[in-house]
Amino acid sequence: MKNQILQAYKQAPWRIQIQWIGLFLLALVLIAAITGLYLNISAQAATSGRKIQVLESDIEDINNEIADLTTQLAKAQSIENMRARAKELGFKMIDPNNAVYLEIPGYDPNADLVLAPPRVNIIAESPNVKSSYKISLWEWFIDQIWQPTKNSTQLEGVVLP
Amino acid sequence: MKMPFHGRYLSIVIICAILGGAIVVQMVRINYTIYAQQLIAKSEDYQGIEKVIYPSRGNIYDRSGHILATNQVGYELGIDLKFVADPESIAFSVASIIDDMDYVNVYELANTEKRDVENRYFVLSSYVSKEKIDELARLKENYSERRQEQKSSKPSLSGLVWYPMQQRTYPEGTLAANILGFYNYFSRETAQGVYGIEEAYNRLLTGKPQSVFMPNDPYLVEALPDIQPGASLVLTIDREIQSMVERTLSDAIEWSGAEGGTIIVADPKTGEILGMASTPYFNPNEYWKYEETFPGITPYNRAIGTTYEPGSVFKVITMAAALDSGVAEPSTTYNDSSGVYWVANSWPIYNWDGGAWGVQDMTGCMQHSLNVCLAHVAVDLLQEDLFYQYLQAFGFGRSTGIDLASEANYPLRLPTNNQWVEIDLATNSFGQGIAVTPIQMVTAISAVANDGMMMTPHVVRSVIDRGQQYDVTPQVINSPISPETAHTLSQMLTIALQEEASDALIEGYTIAGKTGTGEIPTEFGYTSELTNASFVGWGPSDDPQFLVYVWLEKPTISKWGSVVAAPVFRDVVEQLVVLMRIPPDNIRLGTANE
Repeated sequence: MKNQILQAYKQAPWRIQIQWIGLFLLALVLIAAITGLYLNISAQAATSGRKIQVLESDIEDINNEIADLTTQLAKAQSIENMRARAKELGFKMIDPNNAVYLEIPGYDPNADLVLAPPRVNIIAESPNVKSSYKISLWEWFIDQIWQPTKNSTQLEGVVLP
Repeated sequence: MKMPFHGRYLSIVIICAILGGAIVVQMVRINYTIYAQQLIAKSEDYQGIEKVIYPSRGNIYDRSGHILATNQVGYELGIDLKFVADPESIAFSVASIIDDMDYVNVYELANTEKRDVENRYFVLSSYVSKEKIDELARLKENYSERRQEQKSSKPSLSGLVWYPMQQRTYPEGTLAANILGFYNYFSRETAQGVYGIEEAYNRLLTGKPQSVFMPNDPYLVEALPDIQPGASLVLTIDREIQSMVERTLSDAIEWSGAEGGTIIVADPKTGEILGMASTPYFNPNEYWKYEETFPGITPYNRAIGTTYEPGSVFKVITMAAALDSGVAEPSTTYNDSSGVYWVANSWPIYNWDGGAWGVQDMTGCMQHSLNVCLAHVAVDLLQEDLFYQYLQAFGFGRSTGIDLASEANYPLRLPTNNQWVEIDLATNSFGQGIAVTPIQMVTAISAVANDGMMMTPHVVRSVIDRGQQYDVTPQVINSPISPETAHTLSQMLTIALQEEASDALIEGYTIAGKTGTGEIPTEFGYTSELTNASFVGWGPSDDPQFLVYVWLEKPTISKWGSVVAAPVFRDVVEQLVVLMRIPPDNIRLGTANE
């Protein structure tokens, strides 16, 4: 009787195999999904890394080009070149005895050259990025768990109206 | 009932376990073999490279913003043996395009057996111009196309590589090179500023190089840190004035036959150096030719790097001391009855012409530049203590602190020194037996032109760092004389110049000044005819806006400062008043129509 009851409730062997295969396939799908996700994120990270390298290289190229153009401009405007160009255009050095002086109110020939803003005290502003964007999922999770405790601690000693 | 697949499952599990175990064993074994360290080292090579990133060296501008020193792109050319396929083509291309490159040397490097060398990268040239690199790049591309057409591995420039890097350049060529110094950029690790501004401000200009690990693994790549370029400097130098004084000095040396010379133009109120010419001139773009231009002990910048006996321009200091201490007034007289002054009855002092000039007041003594009179002032009126106290107050025997590298200084010989002898007091009074630099003279005499205040001479006006401009505040070194003494002496020297009808006078402008002729000692004493001819002057006398110092070394046309240096001073000031937009006195003081 006992054996009969056991046999009646026992799974058929093929059902057990199907269950194992199902479980295996489920595990396989999960592993494939996680692997796919990992590969996708890795590929994105690698692409970003390469983009960073390319952009750094571009920055260096641009800086070099700026330096080159600055030099070319400085050479074109060198005093020797400017003097030669002025001569070609028919200008000549002024005779001090024939100079005519005009007083121009507010004009200061010795005014300070300003190539950059003067020094000021800069108060560093805190970056306007939400803290949730700067922490990992795990840290956020821990924070959320501790949040109520923190809030209750902060409320201590506060006198409400 | 026994499961039908149990045995097979067990077999697979055992095989996997054995394989896993074997892998673990092998991993452990590898870590303990003799090759472990080599393998680890090799793996580190493939992980990435440690690269030092050098910030751009800061620019140097003149006071109007014209660039005097900046950077341009140069390329490091090298051979990476890993990729070399055709050493002959590399050697031929490099030797035919790059100057000073030898076919055999390049071929030997390119043909090096890769396994024989640890370093598989050789630098062929530290700096190659962009034009040359463009030529090589075009050739490399042509070869590549030809290989594709011919389906062969040659010709090929694979393995010939170049990396851009910035090199120092001076767009104005030789202009202000003696002030700027130069930057020896060939070896990047040891590169540094040499002389002048480049050396004095080397750390500021260089910025902070940073070592960065650059991984080959793209997952590990991060943005490079934000490396700030070196600070830029705005100088007090005016490009137009600098060019003018350099040109005038060249003409003066050619005309006078002098060995060398210096002209300094300064603003006595602030200590700013507006122009500073010094021979020989030098092109810092070719700094490796330094030895050719400055053989032996030739100073890079005479204005700050050479001491010499200034001669009579030093009488300005002696007279300033006498007036300020109250031992003499402009009306104080001296009777030069014999043309000779005896020091301790042992050493005679003569005037420049050997003559006697009779009764002279202090203005006359300065006007006729009488050695005997000034010796009398120093020895009899000021005496040792007071005279040398004033000399020290004027900064002699100490560096001026000008912000240029390699400033020279000769210690002041004081009565407390063993080498000091009694005659020194007399000869020092007219600028003999004492060694000074031109910048020391400019600094000391600027006190007379600036209400008694000596300003620190400087050539940097502003520093631009991290996008902000820091202006340099003029510094007072000392006030050796009172404003009243300064005004009185200025008036005396203005009158003396006018009475003398000096070659230094400029029509329409009142100038105060003094000539100087310093004898140059030989090993037998002051026996040669060689002199240092100089002139110092400032103007306009009532409101000095410039101070000009001219020094010509060993002129041959004449030995006298009044003949050689005074006309050079006039040439400079005639152009200077135009460049500085200083109107003649009658216009400036509003007396044109009176």
